[in-house]
Amino acid sequence: MEVSLLLEVKDLDSGYGFLQVLWGVSLHVDHGEFVCVIGPNGAGKSTIFKTICGLVPSAKGEILFKGRCINKLETNRICQRGLCYISEETNLFTGMTVLENLIMGGYTLKDKKKKKQLLDDVFSLFPRLEERRNQLAGTMSGGERKMLAIGRGIMSDPELLLVDEPSLGLAPVITLQVMRAMEVLRKNGMTLILVEQNVKKTLQITDRGYILEKGQIAMQGRSADLAQDEHVRKVFLGV
Amino acid sequence: MELLSKRPLVERIGYYLRSPVVLTILGTIGLLIAATLHSGSYILVNTVVTGGMWALMSMGLALVFGVMNIAHFAIGEMFMAGGLFSYFVITPLYDYLSLNPNETLAALAPILSILAGTIGGAMIGVLTEIFIFRPLRRRSREQWIMNTFILTLGISVVMINGHHLLFGSEFKGVVSYWPYQPITVLGTLISFDRAFVFVCSIVMMGGFWIFMKFTKIGQAIRAVSQDEKGALMVGVNLNTIQALTMALSCGLAALSGACLLFMFPSYPTVGVAPLYNAWFVVIVVGLGNVAGTIVGGFMVAMFQILTTVYIGEGWGLVFPSLIIIVILIFKPSGLFGTAVRGILDQ
Repeated sequence: MEVSLLLEVKDLDSGYGFLQVLWGVSLHVDHGEFVCVIGPNGAGKSTIFKTICGLVPSAKGEILFKGRCINKLETNRICQRGLCYISEETNLFTGMTVLENLIMGGYTLKDKKKKKQLLDDVFSLFPRLEERRNQLAGTMSGGERKMLAIGRGIMSDPELLLVDEPSLGLAPVITLQVMRAMEVLRKNGMTLILVEQNVKKTLQITDRGYILEKGQIAMQGRSADLAQDEHVRKVFLGV
Repeated sequence: MELLSKRPLVERIGYYLRSPVVLTILGTIGLLIAATLHSGSYILVNTVVTGGMWALMSMGLALVFGVMNIAHFAIGEMFMAGGLFSYFVITPLYDYLSLNPNETLAALAPILSILAGTIGGAMIGVLTEIFIFRPLRRRSREQWIMNTFILTLGISVVMINGHHLLFGSEFKGVVSYWPYQPITVLGTLISFDRAFVFVCSIVMMGGFWIFMKFTKIGQAIRAVSQDEKGALMVGVNLNTIQALTMALSCGLAALSGACLLFMFPSYPTVGVAPLYNAWFVVIVVGLGNVAGTIVGGFMVAMFQILTTVYIGEGWGLVFPSLIIIVILIFKPSGLFGTAVRGILDQ
């Protein structure tokens, strides 16, 4: 029996210490979908990702990945199962080169040929990274770091990628490159969830979206429909 | 201004020669050669032998401090444990050998006992990680460095008194590991044991570098030290890596203790001086800087020996302490630097 839903989040409560950030959040992602979670600053978008991947413990609710509960699992075990989180702060290994970072990305893989192939995929997706393969990650520009973070995430051969605000602080040209890379990933079969503040572009490239406001899902639906919705247009698109 | 890599070779050499690291190293070597020519080659020999071991101990300390942020004040006791385990392996072997002389066994016995010392120390390290530091990590990350400092002081007290209770406070040592004649190097007689210690330290330093740079575990350890969250996100098992780092650090300290058993017999407080030496080196070189401890180990050993020879036996610890005070005032990030910035290098 095939489990159709790749990721299911049911009624999730989460937060930091005494500060509750998420209140009963529910969402789901199917194989091959490109879903986004958008909302104002501080709504809790990053917290959803951090809770799913185990960096923040959940207080209540269930997180099912490929049908199995991953609530109490550690981040590294979740990565081994095929769920990769790419943080907004990138969390790169600043003292290592681009190549070393990418190789570390493939830490959980046993197959050498697969690793080599993934490395080639990353380099063809981001030719800039190949040019600077021996440069220290700590000396790279913001856009290059985001590319490297995404590349490192791809190296773990994930089934689901959680990308946290890839365009934050980037020049529009670089943002376009990063978004285009995600479209390519999607076309090659990767399932993606995107958290973003750049609402217009995000709704253009994704299939479905969730609007998160004050820790709760305020709205959800197909991205095309959301882009036409009055509330969304007024609050996020300034129309 | 053009990139340095595009300038002619002579200019590049000149640039590197002016860097503080290279100047310090050259200055140290110069001082060492001058003192040797003046007072005799035993200065060079002793510096190189003890310096190698201090370098290994400091590498272990810098590793555990850089990767796990543990201010370890019990690695002196790991040094003691290394010597102790080695003693308890070599003594029965010697008893056996005195009744049944055997060339190969006589050559292998010291290696076995040093290995036993190293592994014993590493295991104690892993036990402390599993039963002391892991529960602390789960409980709270606040005031981590201070907490680990106090905890390791406690471990130190337990180990020192444990040794005293279980094994007594007599000096447990060996006159020499190997029964061979001293070898002649550059006109000086060096005992085989000392020569072995030197070779061992060079091999271990090289092995350590290769391990950290090229093996998967070594890269994982470096990754954890640079970004713990990032390491988690790529699938590194933090518990395993932390246990391995601790084993490596305590193993290096225990190795020094085991190798130097002929110089430092094992007794409860034998680890105090090596502890201070290791911390001297780590502070002088820069907290968390592992590569620099190699040079730093030799430097501190040299200063101690020069002080003992030229100023007096009891002044051995004074001079390094003075140097540390000066460095902490003017360059707290250490000679070779870390992230800590001082008042004068803003």
